[in-house]
Amino acid sequence: MSKETPLLPSSDAREAALFFVVGALCFLAALAALVSRGTYTAAQAWSAQVEGEITVILEDTDRRAANTLAEEIEALSGVIEARVLNREELEGLLEPSFGPGGMPEGLPLPLLIAVLSDPEAIAVVGQIESLAETAGLNAEVSAHSGYARDVRGALALLRLVALGVVVLLAATAIAVIAFATHAALLARRDIVDVLHLSGAEDKFIANLFERRFWVLALRAGSVGALLALMVTALIVFSGGAQGENAAQLLPQLSLDVPDVLILLVTPILAGLSARLAAHLTVMQSLKGTL
Amino acid sequence: MSRFRFDFSDEASVRLDGVSLSYDRTGEVLSEIDLNLAAGSFTFLTGPSGAGKSSLLKLLYLAHAPDRGVIRLFGQTTHDLKRKQLSALRRRIGVVFQEFRLLSHLTAAENVALPLRVAGRKPASYEHEVQDLLRWVGLGERMDAPVPSLSGGEQQRVAIARALINKPDLLIADEPTGNVDAEMGQRIMRLFAELNRRAGTTILVATHDLGLVREFDAPVLRLNHGLLVRDAEFGGAEA
Repeated sequence: MSKETPLLPSSDAREAALFFVVGALCFLAALAALVSRGTYTAAQAWSAQVEGEITVILEDTDRRAANTLAEEIEALSGVIEARVLNREELEGLLEPSFGPGGMPEGLPLPLLIAVLSDPEAIAVVGQIESLAETAGLNAEVSAHSGYARDVRGALALLRLVALGVVVLLAATAIAVIAFATHAALLARRDIVDVLHLSGAEDKFIANLFERRFWVLALRAGSVGALLALMVTALIVFSGGAQGENAAQLLPQLSLDVPDVLILLVTPILAGLSARLAAHLTVMQSLKGTL
Repeated sequence: MSRFRFDFSDEASVRLDGVSLSYDRTGEVLSEIDLNLAAGSFTFLTGPSGAGKSSLLKLLYLAHAPDRGVIRLFGQTTHDLKRKQLSALRRRIGVVFQEFRLLSHLTAAENVALPLRVAGRKPASYEHEVQDLLRWVGLGERMDAPVPSLSGGEQQRVAIARALINKPDLLIADEPTGNVDAEMGQRIMRLFAELNRRAGTTILVATHDLGLVREFDAPVLRLNHGLLVRDAEFGGAEA
């Protein structure tokens, strides 16, 4: 008798089904969190990169005038680099439209000055426009920070959607646990009655169910997180192995410390949610009894 | 038979005043019950099947609340109590259920230890108490037996040991000899009498075994159609 047998009998088929459901929900929640983080991080890095980029498009101008303007631009305060792109670089930019080597011969191309500036130097665009005007050049100055603003807006929305998905999955898991607890309470009514009549307080009885579902959700959550880890690893490594184009089709995933933390926290959150759901359900259900 | 009413006393373990109970508006199972069981008394409750014996006991071990009337246990009015206080009160009551209500996935000893476990005690602190009590009810060799492997009589004795392990102030037994042979029935009743004499436990035994009742010099209450009456056939002293 030194080792106490649990007062609730060991698990049955219903709990196996519940294990599967909670495991699947945890897998989806972990994956949603990882994909959202990965995409957010990648987009943020891209956004930070383009933040300080400015393109100056010059039409009806020769390369010499363009080079002179580039030198003047580079001399501006807050500008790190300014240079005129050569033909190969221009063809590279247009390759997505014409395909590799598909650029028609003799196609007139504008001259482009790529400017890299400090993202904080807001006045640079105006100064470049002034320089071009003074030089009598027909220039279109395009700051990439405008795109970055759009990307940031999209990222905020993405983050919100991902958070919504995770919350929805957590709520589903809690509802499933609450339903399962209620069913278990009904199925174990005889035991609950005997415990009550032996002087057990509601908290004591709730604790039995809490422990049962805490362990179940912790295990199921661990399996779900492990599966999410395996899928992530598969995407990370197969993406790298299949080349850049294939990688672009796959979700942006990584296995950094925050990702590992997400995977570690998933089963713990699942267990805590299950515990809370079981506690509230039992306490609420027992209220109606003597 | 005449309508039965005890004089109330402050020393009562159990006091019911005008208690009525109905389950589904089809009529009262218990009607205007007045009852007073003095501390340390031993009382029988008899009556035909369906008379309301089990219902009365359920009110006493707080499995039901009455529709009308007041129940006082050990001086506390039960309908005023919070759930936590009801649990504390239940720990002072030992119940032997007619259908045993043992937990089938536990051993005999674990079933007996249940009230102690519920009270938060650790196995090391009660192991010897449980073993002593199981020996006392003649199950010294069956302590670790799973419930399904026990005979009806053995299960009955485990249920009795479980009711007694907490040293209750009030022991309520619903047909405690219903599933055992006559010899075991007498042994169980002697066990109750000994407990009543030695520990001063208030005991209320519901039984339809009038032969058994005759062997004990104890007051007998009779329930008939939900009314509590004194059974003139038995001459036991009033509690």
